[in-house]
Amino acid sequence: MITKTAWKNVWRNKVRSLVVIASVAVGIFAGVFAVGVMNGAIDQRADDIFENEIAHIQINHKDFRSNNDLVCNIKNVNSIRDQIGAMEEVESVCDRLFVAGMANTARKSVGVNIIGIDPREEKYVFGLYKELEPGTGDYFGDPEREELAYIGFDLAKNLNIIRYEITDEVADQLKTAGLPAEISGGIRKFTGKRFDNEKSFKKAMRSVLTEDQEKEYGKLILETSQTFRERARFTLTFVDINNHQTGGVFRVGGIYNISNSMYESSYVFVRDHVIRSLVELPENTAHKIIIRLKDVDDTKAVTMKLKSDFPELEVLGWREIQPDMALMTDMAEVMYGFFMALILAALAFGIVNTMLMVVLERTKELGMLTAIGMNRKKVFRMIMTESVFLSLTGGMVGMLISWIIIRITSARGINFGSMQEGFEAMGFSSHIYPDIGIGFFFIVTVLIIVTGVLSSVYPAFKALKLDPAEALRTE
Amino acid sequence: MTKKLLTLLLLIYPCLSLAAQDAAEIVKRANDKINGEKSSYSEMKMTIVRPDWERTLEFKNWTKGREYALTLITAPARDRGQSFLKRGSEMWSWNPTISRMIKLPPSMMSQGWMGSDYTNDDILNESSVVDDYIHELAGEEEIEGRLCYRIKMTAKEDAAVVWGHQVRWIDKDDYLFMKAELYDEDGYLVRTELGKNLKIMDGRLIPTILEIIPEDEEGHKTVVEIEKIEFNIPVEDDFFSQQNLKRVR
Amino acid sequence: MKNYKMAWRNLWRNRRRTVITSASVFFAVFFAMIMRSLQLGTYDSMYKNIIESYSGYIQVQNEEFWENKIVDNVFNNTAELQSRITEDKNVEDLIPRFESFALASSGSRSKGVMVMGIDPEKEKLLSDVESRLVNYRLTDEAIDAIKAEDIPSYLAKNLDLFRDKSYSSDGSLQIDLGIKEGDEETLMPVLTRYAGVDNSYFSMGEDKALVGDRLARYLGLERGDTIILLGQAYHGHTAAGKYVIGGIIKIPNPELDNKIVYLPVDVCQTLYYAPGMLTSMVVHLKDNDDDAIEGTLARLDSKLDSPYRVLAWKEMNETLVQQLDADDKGGMIMIGILYLVIAFGVFGTVLMMTAERRREFGVLVAIGMQKTKLTGVLVYEMLYLGLLGILAGVAIAVPSIIYGYYHPIHFSASLAKVWEDYGFEPVMKFQWIDKYFISQSLVVAIIVLVAAIYPLIKIRKMKEVNALKA
Repeated sequence: MITKTAWKNVWRNKVRSLVVIASVAVGIFAGVFAVGVMNGAIDQRADDIFENEIAHIQINHKDFRSNNDLVCNIKNVNSIRDQIGAMEEVESVCDRLFVAGMANTARKSVGVNIIGIDPREEKYVFGLYKELEPGTGDYFGDPEREELAYIGFDLAKNLNIIRYEITDEVADQLKTAGLPAEISGGIRKFTGKRFDNEKSFKKAMRSVLTEDQEKEYGKLILETSQTFRERARFTLTFVDINNHQTGGVFRVGGIYNISNSMYESSYVFVRDHVIRSLVELPENTAHKIIIRLKDVDDTKAVTMKLKSDFPELEVLGWREIQPDMALMTDMAEVMYGFFMALILAALAFGIVNTMLMVVLERTKELGMLTAIGMNRKKVFRMIMTESVFLSLTGGMVGMLISWIIIRITSARGINFGSMQEGFEAMGFSSHIYPDIGIGFFFIVTVLIIVTGVLSSVYPAFKALKLDPAEALRTE
Repeated sequence: MTKKLLTLLLLIYPCLSLAAQDAAEIVKRANDKINGEKSSYSEMKMTIVRPDWERTLEFKNWTKGREYALTLITAPARDRGQSFLKRGSEMWSWNPTISRMIKLPPSMMSQGWMGSDYTNDDILNESSVVDDYIHELAGEEEIEGRLCYRIKMTAKEDAAVVWGHQVRWIDKDDYLFMKAELYDEDGYLVRTELGKNLKIMDGRLIPTILEIIPEDEEGHKTVVEIEKIEFNIPVEDDFFSQQNLKRVR
Repeated sequence: MKNYKMAWRNLWRNRRRTVITSASVFFAVFFAMIMRSLQLGTYDSMYKNIIESYSGYIQVQNEEFWENKIVDNVFNNTAELQSRITEDKNVEDLIPRFESFALASSGSRSKGVMVMGIDPEKEKLLSDVESRLVNYRLTDEAIDAIKAEDIPSYLAKNLDLFRDKSYSSDGSLQIDLGIKEGDEETLMPVLTRYAGVDNSYFSMGEDKALVGDRLARYLGLERGDTIILLGQAYHGHTAAGKYVIGGIIKIPNPELDNKIVYLPVDVCQTLYYAPGMLTSMVVHLKDNDDDAIEGTLARLDSKLDSPYRVLAWKEMNETLVQQLDADDKGGMIMIGILYLVIAFGVFGTVLMMTAERRREFGVLVAIGMQKTKLTGVLVYEMLYLGLLGILAGVAIAVPSIIYGYYHPIHFSASLAKVWEDYGFEPVMKFQWIDKYFISQSLVVAIIVLVAAIYPLIKIRKMKEVNALKA
């Protein structure tokens, strides 16, 4: 009965109720949507790291992390893998060889981490194969060619595999991209000249560009003039298990680009059996076993289990491997909490305000109700229920709208084009796919109800204090 | 008509293959001259030239086959007493200032030995000029007043070398490497090596000055001068040991 | 009667309505300020932490060094150069640095490392290396010995989980081992006794090195052992030196921990045959404000020419700058959303107020008041309401922020630990009163004025007859 009355009361003053509902709706929508955007950005960043760099869990020899020696490898890899693969939470497993060595081209030698992989298997655990820089080849496309390697963009630059050249084609592309004619003319001076590295190219550009011109067009010119040789040749030299220098010739099959220079500049992927025979490591050994789970939230549990299953090995969950990622996600949760709390506080206030007006306006009516004997408690509950209705209706509307918008944008993504560099520098893509868990909606609903209840307390008390006699006399 | 063509081809073919054989042969002979010696002892001077500074080191060098080498620095005073030992693909260094023996990882050498332009690749891959390339005779040219074969060497597909191709000038009379140009895969010149100042040492005619000139760096050069060299000296394997590294004078 | 007087009286005729309406403005201002202060304070402290712990705000280097960090690109740290810099009014001190690479060896094992020559005392103004000295190490022997003592079972279990780890701070150790409150008194002495490590700092002139924890383990070295450094020195000379390990330090970034060696800067200069030369000099400023930094930068830039180069923190921390930017924009979006919510709240309140007073307005106009006068009065009313709200908001916000400034919000223990490991203070700070106060107030004022338009329109359109019936 109370409920029905409360509901009817809400709609007695349509305008006012609509205003409150609308403001709650807007507040909730804005809050939930903002959280969705932030969540989406962070999830994506995390996903990228899981996808491309570390997956969820890694296992290695106890001394491997401090001592990158070949001998610190895992034995009986196959049976360990089988055991892990049998676990329900595990989606896929792969193993890798790690050899520290040098990559050499005619001009440069750089220290690298050579990773021996099974290209096919890797695809189930890592998504790195998708990050191919277009036009640079492919991911181990030709099964016949053993000597193919998959290297990072930054490494390609450091080895001077990526060069810079102004050609007619490049000049045309720049023109289409809007490079002013006088700058075009200046850089055309260098047509046909090949620059082996960024430094010499930039130096040449600076001789024909002013500082401002460089600031504005420098990057565009740099990126358009990038060129490289397909299947470029380089050698990898390293030490085998008997401490003898060895190595081989390899060719760049494809270049990956994941906007993480540290990773890109040091990881070279080659076929595992090629490396294995060169370093003379026996079969059934590996340096890392890498696990991808069906659900990333199972990481802690699975890691604990594996730690006890394989006490002689080191088992690391992603949080231990990349603690700064963990830091970021934790921070984010704290920020969400604060943010929603603040919004709800602001809304709560609005509701208090409204309910107060409601109460004080209906002094006469409430007075009458009390005079005819309506239980005080019932009055209190009625006010409270009205308040909850207001907030809940508004909340529902808000959440519905935000859910719809998030659904739409999560499919198509939002493009933060102008802030692209900032996002990418942090490892975020500037194209964000907002996302919200059902759990979050649930929490928000609960919070809204709580807000509705709390905000009605003061007005309800006020209602109770009304003197019926006094009330009847008011206008 | 076909018959004529066939005869022509049959005549030319042996000449062509002969020419190729010749080129490889020539390179092999020149290579054997440097590396075929069982052992050697030399006293050398290396000058590192840079735009802002110049440094000269003097050292004594013992080698045995391709596997062993021991180098002792004799000047300048600051560096005197430092010694390096190569055994196969391992390298050790002894430094008297800190009186310690250190095993050098291969990566240390990629920066150029003692700051020079002489790189890791050079130190470990010298013999590959014969096995890793396809050789082609490409004319003759005079270098330092001596007539040389000009040989173009294209790196084999699976050869573990970083060069795309090399051009070497080998003296016709004595099979000496007079000049080398090292190119990357795209055909850009990366490095030039010149042999100069031919002299007779220990009964042989050899270039006593070797200049290494990197193409991309202005004003960079390394010059090695052989002051004395003896071939096939008697030297035991255990001369090339870590203990001897400390003792050698 | 003058409009403004009438407006004032109107307000106080219906006190509760006045209070309620201006309260919504008050809350708007209050929330906006608190949120903005928290945002700015937190970002600021995080970024300041990063900058102040490594690059500093301004550095002087050889002009070639930034692009090509080789040992040949050092500069001469002359007394003349120093005085030219220190005579600037905003320069507090100069912190010298010599960074290069070397091969570190324990004899049996070698590894490429980064060598950092620092001034042991002055460096404390930047990165506190001394606080990173390892104080506890849970070696197998230590764990066995601790377990042999009478300790709670949870501790025994946890010790196994963190076998082989090193700790610089008590707090970190306690959190990892899950030491319960109250137990510290009894357990810490036991831990110190068996797992405690004696490490010490160094001073200028001492041939001592501080080595990263991971690096030391790889090389198999401990405090008191000798470490060899071999590399390429200035102008092609050979850098060779041996140093006693004075202490082991633990750097949170595992990559760095794996390859860092600290030396006193003068010893480092000797090692690299570069006496009196440095790779970089950090300029420590008195005032760290953005404006002060810009000013100092400009002055130093004009004073120091080739072969020197003055670098600003923005150039040296490009990624960080972009991150700051993105964060800032994110923050503004959040505030924007807050405003949206607030605007609705204010508008709603005004709406209700108008609806409530329809009759009143109708009567006034019916008895002959000019609509223009009525609107005039209303404008003043809104103005007063807005002003009251803003002033009240500021009045409460200011002391709250001041309190918050001296009592920042602390994180929970586990979150705090991760932050501390990275060298961040585990707090959310408030920003002192600044320009943002004015901008926030202004925005709220605008919101109020816009909301005020509604009643004005309503009045113009009003038909008195209908209003009287209300």
